[in-house]
Amino acid sequence: MRIELAEVTKVFADGKKVLDNICYGEKFNALAIIGPSGGGKSTLLRLLGGLLSPTAGEVSFDGSKVSFDEKHLIQYRRKIGFVFQAKGLFNHLTARQNVILPLVNVHGYTKTDAETAADNLLGRFGLSADKHKFPHELSGGQQQRVAIARAVAVKPKLLLLDEPTSALDPELTGEVLDMLNELRNEGLNIILVTHEMGFAKKACDKLMFIVNGKLAEYGDSEKLFTRPGTAELAVFLSKVLEWST
Amino acid sequence: MPFYRLFIKGINEKTTLLQKSFNIVIAVALFVLFFFYSVKRLGLDFDFSFLWSFRYRLAQGFAATVALSLASLVVSLLIGFLSAIANNSRILAVSYFSKVYVQFIRGTPMIMQVYLFFYIVGTAWGIDNRFLAGVLILSIFEGAYIAEIIRGGIDSIEPTQLEAAKAVGLENGQTLRLIVLPQIIKRTLPALSGQFASIIKDSSLLSLISVIELTQTIREISASNFAIFESYIFLGLLYLSLTFPISMYTRYLESRFSYEN
Repeated sequence: MRIELAEVTKVFADGKKVLDNICYGEKFNALAIIGPSGGGKSTLLRLLGGLLSPTAGEVSFDGSKVSFDEKHLIQYRRKIGFVFQAKGLFNHLTARQNVILPLVNVHGYTKTDAETAADNLLGRFGLSADKHKFPHELSGGQQQRVAIARAVAVKPKLLLLDEPTSALDPELTGEVLDMLNELRNEGLNIILVTHEMGFAKKACDKLMFIVNGKLAEYGDSEKLFTRPGTAELAVFLSKVLEWST
Repeated sequence: MPFYRLFIKGINEKTTLLQKSFNIVIAVALFVLFFFYSVKRLGLDFDFSFLWSFRYRLAQGFAATVALSLASLVVSLLIGFLSAIANNSRILAVSYFSKVYVQFIRGTPMIMQVYLFFYIVGTAWGIDNRFLAGVLILSIFEGAYIAEIIRGGIDSIEPTQLEAAKAVGLENGQTLRLIVLPQIIKRTLPALSGQFASIIKDSSLLSLISVIELTQTIREISASNFAIFESYIFLGLLYLSLTFPISMYTRYLESRFSYEN
């Protein structure tokens, strides 16, 4: 999948410029957005997901421009999956109902078809035993796996994830990342904001490094990790990788 | 199990059914004994037998209280819901109107509101059906409390719930119907059910404007035969028979919906 960002800028109502003239164009299978906290990564991802509109600039996927008016955005959001950092599941619904709701109410599945699809998917991700539990009864890792199952149940071409493992214990991070890697291998396009440098390096082919709202560096993930082109990225990597082996 | 464990539960232990029933009996017995001792000290001699001859009037009064409370529950839910929405309105006059209403009602005694609304507002607007007036006054009073309950429910919806609804492609109407309302209902139901018990008790104040409900019926009966103590004790038991099941139901709802901690 090819993504193009042309002079994308986002200024919030309080006047804070969160994204500053981002220009980017690359073909990717899995794109990791990394950078220091508060730099605008999540804002960029929400913009790509059609949850926010840019103040200026254009976004396009595979040559088709995203139209940022509410009527088109609803259609646009239906074609992509979005996974939040935490608490993205509907509190009042069980795991299974969370997966079923968008299928029935947004994508026009019959109840039976939606149930079959949900059961298959939850079974595949090892959640069969927990599918009738409410979000608060699930572990953080299970919650995120249900959220990913809900997002991919509608067969999106693109899956966006906003720090999907940052609220998890280390041993739960692995189970979520394994699941993502599996989906990626099946050809699903993924863009994720992450602090998991191992995953960004090994499982993502492309990398964007965002600092203070600016795209400081981008390119092949493997290459940037071994030979960062800017001093900023080199410093950032040396900090985040300091204690990893 | 040592004998004393019948009376004292262990730290972090659940109360067993045996402990529960045994100690509830003790607590109720203490309560009743204290009361009877007080009665004996005064040398009173109770005779409840006259109540039987008033059974039809009492049944009517009881039914009127139930009807009054149910009607007020519906109307006060409507008022409370509208007021909670108005409170969050971006039209400031609407928002402040709701705030002033809630503050006034919650900050003044109901007895004053009963007189004020009935004799001034009610008379001025020609509402002379006492039952209707009673329902309206009670609903305006309870509506302010319900408004606060519903407002709390609305505030408790986390922003990520709305964002997630948007992300899966729900339209605004669907988000309200499928995500927001079910969560508000789940979270406010225990408090609303508790408020219904308050409505039943508060309806007794409508006897001040001679709405013929349970309390007014008892007032009339006791005025005719001077058996004030017996009448009011029986009145209390009748109200308890309504509020106790509701209070149990409220506790059940609370335990069932305590999903966010």
